[in-house]
Amino acid sequence: MSAAQGALGRTRVELAAAGREARAAWSWSATLWALAFVAAALVPLVLPEGRMADLAGFVYLALAAVGLGYAVGLAGIPSLGQGAFLGIGAFTEALLRAKAGWPLLPSLLVAIAVTAAAGVLTGIATGRLRSAFVAVSTWILSWIVLLLLTSFPRISGGAQGLVLPETTVLGHTVTPTGHYLVALTLIALAILALAVLAPRGPGLALAAGRDHPAAALGLGVAVARSRLGVFAASATIAGLAGALGVELAQVADPSSYGPVLSFELFVAVILGGARLPLGPVVGLAVISGFRHLAEEIGGFRGLPPGRLEEMLTGYGMLLVLGLGGAGLLPAARSWWRSRTPAVRTSSRRAEREPARVANAEALLARGLSKRFGTLVALDGFDLDLQPGHVHALIGPNGSGKTTALRTLVGELAPDSGTVSIGAAKLEGPSRPRTLLGVVGTQQATAVFADLTVLQNALVGAGLRRQYAGPFRTVFRTPKARREDGVAEGKALEALSLVGLHDPDRPAAELSAHEQRLLMLASALATQPRVLLLDEPAAGASAAELDSLADLLDQLRDSGLALLVIEHNLRFVRRVADRVTVLEAGKKISSGTLTEVAADEAVRTAYLGRQRLS
Amino acid sequence: MIRLVLVLAALAAVASGCGGNGGSDKEKTLTIAVNAPFSKTPYVGETIADGAELAASSAVIEAKGTKYRFRIKRYDTGLSARTAVANVRRAIADGAIAIVDEGTGVDASWRLARDADVPLAVTYQGGEGLIDPIKRPNVFRVAPTDHGMAFRLAEYLIPKKLKVALITDDSSYGQEGKKALDESFGQNPESVAMRLTVPEGAPDLAPQVLRARRAGATALLVWAQPTTIAGVISAARSSGWNVPVYTPPTGEDPLVRQQLAHKPDWVDGLTFASGRPTAEVGAGPFLTFQKRLEDRFGVQPVGVKTPDGADVVQPPDYAMYSYDFVNVLVAAIQQAGGTDKQKVLDALDQVTVAGANGDQRGFNERNHEGVVDDDVYFAKFEGMTYAPVKDDPLSRTLVPIEQRR
Repeated sequence: MSAAQGALGRTRVELAAAGREARAAWSWSATLWALAFVAAALVPLVLPEGRMADLAGFVYLALAAVGLGYAVGLAGIPSLGQGAFLGIGAFTEALLRAKAGWPLLPSLLVAIAVTAAAGVLTGIATGRLRSAFVAVSTWILSWIVLLLLTSFPRISGGAQGLVLPETTVLGHTVTPTGHYLVALTLIALAILALAVLAPRGPGLALAAGRDHPAAALGLGVAVARSRLGVFAASATIAGLAGALGVELAQVADPSSYGPVLSFELFVAVILGGARLPLGPVVGLAVISGFRHLAEEIGGFRGLPPGRLEEMLTGYGMLLVLGLGGAGLLPAARSWWRSRTPAVRTSSRRAEREPARVANAEALLARGLSKRFGTLVALDGFDLDLQPGHVHALIGPNGSGKTTALRTLVGELAPDSGTVSIGAAKLEGPSRPRTLLGVVGTQQATAVFADLTVLQNALVGAGLRRQYAGPFRTVFRTPKARREDGVAEGKALEALSLVGLHDPDRPAAELSAHEQRLLMLASALATQPRVLLLDEPAAGASAAELDSLADLLDQLRDSGLALLVIEHNLRFVRRVADRVTVLEAGKKISSGTLTEVAADEAVRTAYLGRQRLS
Repeated sequence: MIRLVLVLAALAAVASGCGGNGGSDKEKTLTIAVNAPFSKTPYVGETIADGAELAASSAVIEAKGTKYRFRIKRYDTGLSARTAVANVRRAIADGAIAIVDEGTGVDASWRLARDADVPLAVTYQGGEGLIDPIKRPNVFRVAPTDHGMAFRLAEYLIPKKLKVALITDDSSYGQEGKKALDESFGQNPESVAMRLTVPEGAPDLAPQVLRARRAGATALLVWAQPTTIAGVISAARSSGWNVPVYTPPTGEDPLVRQQLAHKPDWVDGLTFASGRPTAEVGAGPFLTFQKRLEDRFGVQPVGVKTPDGADVVQPPDYAMYSYDFVNVLVAAIQQAGGTDKQKVLDALDQVTVAGANGDQRGFNERNHEGVVDDDVYFAKFEGMTYAPVKDDPLSRTLVPIEQRR
């Protein structure tokens, strides 16, 4: 059998498996979606050709709104620059076609590439900014693009705009109906891709970064990179919509792509619901409805339609805020679900025994120091974390325990000192350390509240995936699908280990202690060798403490090296093999429980009348 | 699925019965679209629409046994070329027999109108290249051209031995004017003190006006939006510079006077170029037209008063262009014997009507300009009203239009 036949055979098998998976996952809602697409594709049969341009234009704009939904909904990036990206795509296309005489396809590709580059540059520039500043910066970008275009009427075409030649493909003119079908296909693909991405690896990583960036970083999520990627993708979709939209309109003029359009798209996304793939389309349809209503009322009452439209949109936004701020579609979905309460039955349980830690190694810290201005938070700190041991780090408030943990996991760069695991020196940010198996949990409760319990754990389980990039995920390649199964298995195993048996429950519904267990499960799903826990027993009842202690025993027995920062000395007594005591950033004692308890310095500085052993 | 197809088929049947023009076989109402910036520059938009509506409302013709009436449908361009083009698409879909257009976006929209054999008439913008009877046989203009106004301005100002500062703003209107002015003053560079582009809507133009003064300008020619014109006058007069100011028709926009209402004397002396509202036959036809327009839509108050306290109204000079085009169109339909679009287009090159100002309006195969360059006159403001100047051969023959109420 030749290699080609072999490849064909494997492809056939994989396609059959994909088909089986698709059939298994097919639901009545998928049928509805398919029917809706077919019905939309049949619209040209009932709508006169003269109306198709308006409809196609709307769908291109909706495509840009869905693109914005990627940034706003998936990653929580409040971009007010989508109109600018539409304009960049449109004017690149228009300039290449009208001034340089390029044919359609090459100009489209260049327009998309230029917008993608603009998206990457803007994403890099705004990546480290807080949400409010991202909104302001992207809003300024919208103004800059508008001002640039209006300042050079020779480029932008002035009052007449930049007029494009007729759009032809293989000698045939592309009619508005043709544009509509292209736009419909593109928006269906964009929505489908969003629906596929959101609950899987890349979408979960973005949601984690959106809900709690520090916790996501701690689980090895490349937050900055994934946010940059989704922002660039959002801009690229806008560029595509802009370029095709200008081909439909046959004229590009700057006033069509200003800050007002950016704001309108943003409002559409918020109005419809940023977290649902169809939300932006619904939002834009509602705004479009407002516009038509304003025109009707304006025509009837002799009022300026523009002002009425703004007023109606304002009322719409107030309505959304009144419904909880999530948007019309999520509000409708919540209402529907409240009428038909779903029964969560999960048979997805895994073994409760933790797997043995592979390549268990000791983590060594030597001479770690960290200053914040004149405050010495950590001063020459040494630590040995041995596999199969629980090491407690205790000390009074402000003694530098959390600083030590954050330095060990890479959240803080030490001023001096080294951290290593086996032969590997740990330097730089969190993600490489997490990949080497050094994982920490946050002091405060830090779950990804908008995700389910399982999805929280899947964020951790996604760390070691090799085939979970956005393209493989969207196209559901065999390797990606296989990895999905493995990751889910790991996540369920971690959840089962910590005693969380309802994977589909929203994380926000868990009690405070359960949320801390979920943090632990997410960390365990990364397959750590060294686990650093910051106050895992906070808020736990006596029974929960016992259960947590049992869990730490199990983890120790599996070969994990554990560091526990804890104020609850009873819990420390129960779980710790060794104890290190910090005072004003300095280690004042280290050893077994008995040794530390007998240390006079520890009694004076920390224990007082409390007993450690 | 079968049910879905049946429903869609039923919808298609219903939809096919919609659209087009209303009326029975013996009486039809034809739609004329007015595509203008109603929201951005309401004065221009309303002026165009009112003129077209006045003509449409009184036009009833009969051809081959069918009585035709006309109605106007307004489309707001918001001064956006893209919206203007989309509006033309909509108008065609709405079954418009013709489009009366302010001019924005015509470079793109004319093709759509041509493909539907729909005539498109520009009734405000004067940009060069909009009209080309060979390449754009369906595009007509009834408005003074930028080229004509710029040359008339040059012809008027150069003999005065003035050193003119040519000020344009960065609006599309200003940039179109800049092109026309560069061309018209190109042969007489000694008359130009400097060329200056200022930002549209800038709150303070004092620095730019000071530059013009320092460059030795003895006159300002401001081709810009009304707010920019008001800004330039304000900057000049507040610095004590009583320089003469010349403008294209945007100088007569009520907005200029409204913005300078607190200093009425600053408007005095402002001279603008525009298409003449009266012709050799005197003011009679225009006054009749004005009365009919006012009877139907009311007077258009400027919102300022004369020094003796009378309200000032705006003469409907630009409304007469859309009015005239609709009358030419009606005559063309009459001559074509119906609404066969190609026949109507052909007839538009053949018919002539008496315009609102008494001039003959019409087009031919080689000329789709309804206003000849020689029809550009000059008027000067005094006491918030304007009158034709006396130092121009054409203008001094024209009768002032009463603007006090």
